[in-house]
Order: sequence, then structure tokens, then C-alpha cells
Amino acid sequence: MPVRIAESSSCSTPSQGSGANSGDTLPPACTLLSVGQAFSGSQNVSSLQKDEAWKVNVRIQGCDLDHGYLCGTMEALNVPFADTPVVTFWEGEIVDTKNYTFFTGKWEATIEDDIRHWSKFPSFSPLLNEVKDDGGRSLNLSNYPYIFMRWKEQYFVNVGVDCGLTIAGFYYVCFSVSDGSIDGFYYDPNSSPFQKLELKSTNEGKSGFSFSSYQLQ
Amino acid sequence: MPSTAAAAAAASSQPDDLIRRLRSSDGAVKLKALRELKNQIIGNRTKKLSYIKLGTVPDVVGVLASSVGIDSGSALIVESAAIIGSFACGVDAGAKAVLEAGAFPHLFRILSNPNEKVVDTTARSLRMIFQSRLAPKYDFSKNENRDCLISLLNSDNENVTGLGASIITHSCKTVTDQKILSGAGVLRMLITLLNGSLYQREACLEALTAMLSSNSEVISNFVDLDNGRALSSLINLIEDKSPRTRLLASTCLIVIGRTCSSYLQGIELKNKLILILIELLEEPDRVGDEVPFAVANLIADREDLQRLAFEANTLDKLCDFLQRETLRPKRFEGLLLAIAELCSRLESCRSKFFSLKVLNLVTDSLKHDSADVQTAACICLRNVTRSVKKLSAGHFMNEMVVDPLIQLLQDSSTSVQVAALSVISNIVVDFANRKSIFLRCGGVKELVRLSQSMDPTLRLNAVLALKNFVFLADNSSKECVLAELTVSTLVSLICEPKVQEQALAFVRNILESGINSVEHVFTEDGIIVNAIGKQVRNALDLNVCIEGIYALGNVATGNELHKEAVMSQILEPQVNGPSQSVLIKFLQGNNSQLRVGAIWCIINLTYPDGPGTSSRIAKLRDAGVICQLKKLADDPCLDAKFRVKTALLQCVNNSCAK
Repeated sequence: MPVRIAESSSCSTPSQGSGANSGDTLPPACTLLSVGQAFSGSQNVSSLQKDEAWKVNVRIQGCDLDHGYLCGTMEALNVPFADTPVVTFWEGEIVDTKNYTFFTGKWEATIEDDIRHWSKFPSFSPLLNEVKDDGGRSLNLSNYPYIFMRWKEQYFVNVGVDCGLTIAGFYYVCFSVSDGSIDGFYYDPNSSPFQKLELKSTNEGKSGFSFSSYQLQ
Repeated sequence: MPSTAAAAAAASSQPDDLIRRLRSSDGAVKLKALRELKNQIIGNRTKKLSYIKLGTVPDVVGVLASSVGIDSGSALIVESAAIIGSFACGVDAGAKAVLEAGAFPHLFRILSNPNEKVVDTTARSLRMIFQSRLAPKYDFSKNENRDCLISLLNSDNENVTGLGASIITHSCKTVTDQKILSGAGVLRMLITLLNGSLYQREACLEALTAMLSSNSEVISNFVDLDNGRALSSLINLIEDKSPRTRLLASTCLIVIGRTCSSYLQGIELKNKLILILIELLEEPDRVGDEVPFAVANLIADREDLQRLAFEANTLDKLCDFLQRETLRPKRFEGLLLAIAELCSRLESCRSKFFSLKVLNLVTDSLKHDSADVQTAACICLRNVTRSVKKLSAGHFMNEMVVDPLIQLLQDSSTSVQVAALSVISNIVVDFANRKSIFLRCGGVKELVRLSQSMDPTLRLNAVLALKNFVFLADNSSKECVLAELTVSTLVSLICEPKVQEQALAFVRNILESGINSVEHVFTEDGIIVNAIGKQVRNALDLNVCIEGIYALGNVATGNELHKEAVMSQILEPQVNGPSQSVLIKFLQGNNSQLRVGAIWCIINLTYPDGPGTSSRIAKLRDAGVICQLKKLADDPCLDAKFRVKTALLQCVNNSCAK
């Protein structure tokens, strides 16, 4: 979800890149995190001056677990001064210790930023010690009931870049396999810290959950 | 240049005169005619075709046959053999005429002629014939053939050894052929011959490639030769002075690496191969035409090599060549295929492809005269349209891309149609709500037509494309597709073994958007939902079961009537099977996807607050489903475990609420 452009600046430097190891230690596949699935909730965009939250809808559009890749759209509904909901396309890195570790290594996020943000998720605390050393390369997440990700918005789908909003930051995300809920924290050195994203898996008013699929050739 | 009528008449009478002189009993006249004929046809395809049409080939073969054993026959043999080779070279009709005229046995007999010039020319002629796909396969299982081949490879004459190598290249096509030749010591002979002339070396490299292709046992024999020195010699040749040698040695190494990747492990060697191939792209002739195919073959299905090639700027080079004018169709095709392979897996490559601004060029080549280029353009587009990021931005759903692809669905070649379908399958996923463009261009009509094609591959790919089209489509688009497809066709597709998995997935997508969409499968007395139920109960194929249970699960997101229909489908005992329901069978299955699909179906059937929920829970309990669910409380698949928890919780809450 985009946030308002702020004027301050920061210049933290990217740290080491994501590593790779081998073995069947990938996070579990989950039907609630498959293509076509929808989530709805809100993002707290409060600042010192004002308490504010925007309604947010997310739809998963692509999922490639081999490459630790997830993508979709994020729709912010009650953005002030915007005539229509603002839709962005995001790409996600699944922390699978093979393609991506807990260390971001880019997007102006230092290891300290990473640890600080991941630690906001209670489900992260059992992993903290192993992550501190090497980003959690040797962790086996195959049976862990949470999937950690980074979501980075790539472009605005329905508005121009001059809309007064920014997608410069990214989200630290934690998905719960047990109930399909998603918590996230937006990180952008130039925006209010720890803006919280809270989403729940939604069946969009149906009397149950439906699943669709496509197959790229 | 204009000419007089008399001059034109004289020119046209010349072939007849020449043929007449070929049939002369005077050796000198024949020899002169042969020389004239040779000068006219060498390198001139039009002349060759014209003389083939006039029936000249049997006359030349006649001269060859009648000159054997005659004192003054050598010159006639040399000329006629050269002409026969030329006719067969690069022209299928010529090779056919030469073979039909019975030139083969005569030429083979002449190889034992004492005159070296005669043997040289005859060997070259035979080699040209063996370069034609029409030449008969040489049967290596016959002892006499094997002995003959060995004697050719043992010859001191490089044209003869080159012929031996060409015979292998042409005829060594099966694992058995490869093993016979390897067992006969041919690998070692070819390695020794690599030290000879350029001509001989290149012929031997091609023969080696044929012997090693996809055969790990023969590759292992080759690598073990002389403690690995054979492999080292081959690796050295990728840096040879001759561009063609470099290409052929690289091709041989690629063949080895594709079958036994351990022999092509070193990153330095991989990098060197890539750089050599990139450099060879600059070659103007046949070598340059073949290089993109070698690149494509090197990196196909190998993400590590694709990454290396990408880092070596291969994509930039390929796209640069693609934009050059007057590309021969062969090279154009190869470039498109190499780009396709590079963009097959890595999003970074696809991203680069778009930044290089060649999409329009590739799209334009869908209208190329050559079917091979059209197919390659489709494969290239198929791979770049695997980018969800670009699909989401609606990059491809426009008339400029869609129109020519829909045109290709009517192509006379099935392979072109299948290639076009594969691109369309990707493009119609379209997340940008622009599916109506495809409908407006007549694409759905064509897909529905092909879903009823006589060709099973076309049927399968057309249904797959329709499935992708209805993924997250709005209700009106889905209605258009169903109206075009008709209920009866859909039912027959659901029941057809080859396409039913995709047909069920299509229905699953149709059903995704709530009660209105679920109603679609209840038209005409519910024959669609009955067909799904029947397939789910009877299917042996795992994927059919998975798609089927998810389709029924989606039906169960509808109203009470819909849920009850699903209940009767999944609790009905299997035909000719055990008395237990298919639902229990799926819950007991080894496949976690199937278990999860079945659990979701139960979640939807027991979804809270429905007036019939309690009665459905009771029925599920009576059928042993709830008991089976409880057994999955600690399912090793986390998804299944948590979904079971949800389902059981719904059942418990329902009982508490009563």
C-alpha cells in the first residue's frame, strides 16, 4: 500500500545480500496463500500529528515457491485526496533460507532494521538467536506455522507516479498458516516507522472458501 | 539484360543438347558434356532443379556405372561422381533423384578404385548424399557394414575418413547404434582423427556428437579414454582457430553436459563456452546461423547456465542481432529460441527483455513467412509472458499482440497452432481486467473451436487456455465462454481422459465467484455437477481427483441446494469400488493436496449459519467422515492439520449452538 511522500531523508546503506543453502527446509505450502486468494484489513498510517488507518485489500496473483516468489496487488481504499482506491502491484520474497534469508540486504534496510522489524512479530522470537548470526540460513522452516516474507511494491496499477504517494519502502510480513492472517510492518526510512498492516483471509462474502488456479505455459 | 529472341531460343535449347551429348557413345563428347553440366549446376539451385526435372540424373549415374572398368573411364567417373554429389547437395529433389537412379552401390564400389583422384571425388560425393536427410540409414548391426565403416575410418585418405564420419553423423540415431559403434572402438578412432585436417576434424566432431548424444554410458566411455585426454582434446578445440571447429566442439561439449552435467562442472568452462558462443554469433555464414541453436541447447532447463549467460550479457547480444536487418530465417528462428530459453525461468531476464524494446519485433515476427520463425516467436513470447509482473500490468492484452496470435490458431500447421495456444494461455490470465479485448478479437470462439479439434494436443491446450481465461474473470466473460462452449461440450470434455483434468480446472475457475457462478453448473438438470461427481468417484488419476474435489468444494460455497448436491456426489459409494465414500478415500490418501482439497470441501459444507448445516454434519458423521477427520488432527502437512482444526471446530460450534 502506498504512503504519503514525506520530506525527510535517510541514507542507510544496504548490507549483505540474501544467501542460499540447500535441503528440504522450505516453509510449508498453504492454500490460503495461493493464487487468487484475497485478504482484507487495514494499515495504520498514524503520525505524531494524527491517528489514521487505511482500509486495504490484497489479492495474490502469482506464487513460485521454488524461487521464494509471491506477488499480487494491494488496494488502499480510503486514501485522503485520492478519487479512487489506489492499487499497487507488489512482489514478495518468501524467507525460505534457500532463496532469501531474514536479512534484507537492500532497500536501505540494515541487519539492525531487519531484526528490529522481525522482532515485532511474536512468532519470530523462537528464531531470533539463529537469525542473528547469518540471517537464519540453517533454519528448518518446513514445519513452522508462520511464513515470513518481504513485500515490495513495484508500481502503481491505476494512478500515476505523480499521485503524491510513495511506494519506496517495503513490508516485513508474517503469514499465519493456521488462520491465514497476515501482519506486516512497513519500512521506509522516510516514512513513519512501524506502520502496521493487519489483514485477514477473506472469502468475499461467499458461504465458504473457493479456490481457483491458472497455469502458465 | 534484354536479349534477342534468337539468343533466348539458343539458350533454352542448350540443356536438351547437353543431355543428348551425355548419352553419346563417344567418351570425349560425354566428358565435355559432363564438365559443362558440372559448371552449370555447382552452387546453382535453380539449374539443379531444372536438370533434375529434365531427368538428367539417371543419365549421369549411367555414365558413372558404364565407366567403371574402362581404361579411360577415370575422368568420366570423377566428373559424374562430382555431379551426382552436387545434385544431392542441399536439394531434397536431387538427393531423391540420385538415390532412385541407384547411384549408391556404384559409388561405394568405386571407393576401392586404385586411382586416388577417383576415390577422393567419390568419397566427397557420397558424403554429400549422406548429408541429406533422405539418404538411407546405414545399418551398423550388420557385420559387413561395420567392417566397411571401420575400413573407411582407417583409410589414409581424409575424404574417405570424412565419409566414414558423415555416415555416423547421418545414421547413428539410437542407443543401440551408439553402443555398437562404441563397442567397435569407433570413439578412439574418431579422437585420433581429430588430429587430421580441418575437413576431417569437423566431420569427426559431428560424428562424436551423434555418438554421445543422450547416452551416458557412451559418454562415460569417451571421458575414460586415455585418462580423460579425449575430453581434454575436445575442450581444447573450443578455442580452435576455425570458427566451425569451435562451434562443433562446443556443440559436442553441450551434448555431454546435458546428459552428464558432472563433466561440465567447472564454472570457468561454462563461462568460456558461453563467451565462445557469443563471439561466434558474429560469424556471417552457416556457423553464425547455427550458434543461437547451440546457445538455446546449452541453457535449456538449466537455470545456473541461464544466469551465467545473462551475466555475460548474452540477452543484450541476442536482442542486438535480432534487430539487424536481413536476417536469414534460420538465424532469426535460432535467435528467438535462444532468447526464449534465456527468459524461460529468470524474471531478471524477462525484465531485461522488456527494457531492450524488442517485444514489438518479436510480435511482428508472428507474421513471418516461415512457419519455423512463427513457432519460435510464439515460444519466445510464451516464455516472456510467464512474467506475472507484466501480466498484472496488462502488457500483453492488446490487439497488436492478440490479433496475430488468434490468426495463428487457424494455421495449417499443428505445431504453429500449439505454439500460439501456449502464448495465448499465458496472456489470457490477464489480471488487468482486459479479458474483454480477447473476447472482442474472437479469441474465445477460436479456443472453443480448437477444444473440439480432432487433434488431442490442440484440444488439451485449448481447454487449458480457456481455464486460464476464466481465472478471476468477471461473470459476463464467464457467461460468454459458457455460451460459446455449450453445456454438452463441457460435459464431454469433463469425461474425456486426456483433457478432463484441465476441463475440471476450468469448471473450478468458473465456480470461483460465488452463488451466481455456481448456478452455471446446475443448468440442464445439473448434468455438469453430475459429470464432475462421476469423474471424482471413478478417476484413478491423482490430478483429476484434485481438480474434481476442488471443483466440488467451490460448488459448496453456493446456497443450500448447491451444498446438498455436493453432499450427494461425495457421499455416494464408488462404482465397482469399496462401499466407503470417495470423501473418506481422499482423506485417507497419501497426497496432501488431495487431503487438503477434501477438507476444504468439508469446511464449505459445514460452513456456519446455513439452515442445513446441522443435517449435513450429521450425515457426514454417519458416513464416518468426521471420525476420519479427527484422525488427521496431527497431519504432517501443516495446511491439512490447520484446516482439519477449522472443520472440526465448525462441527463442534454447530453442536453447541443447537
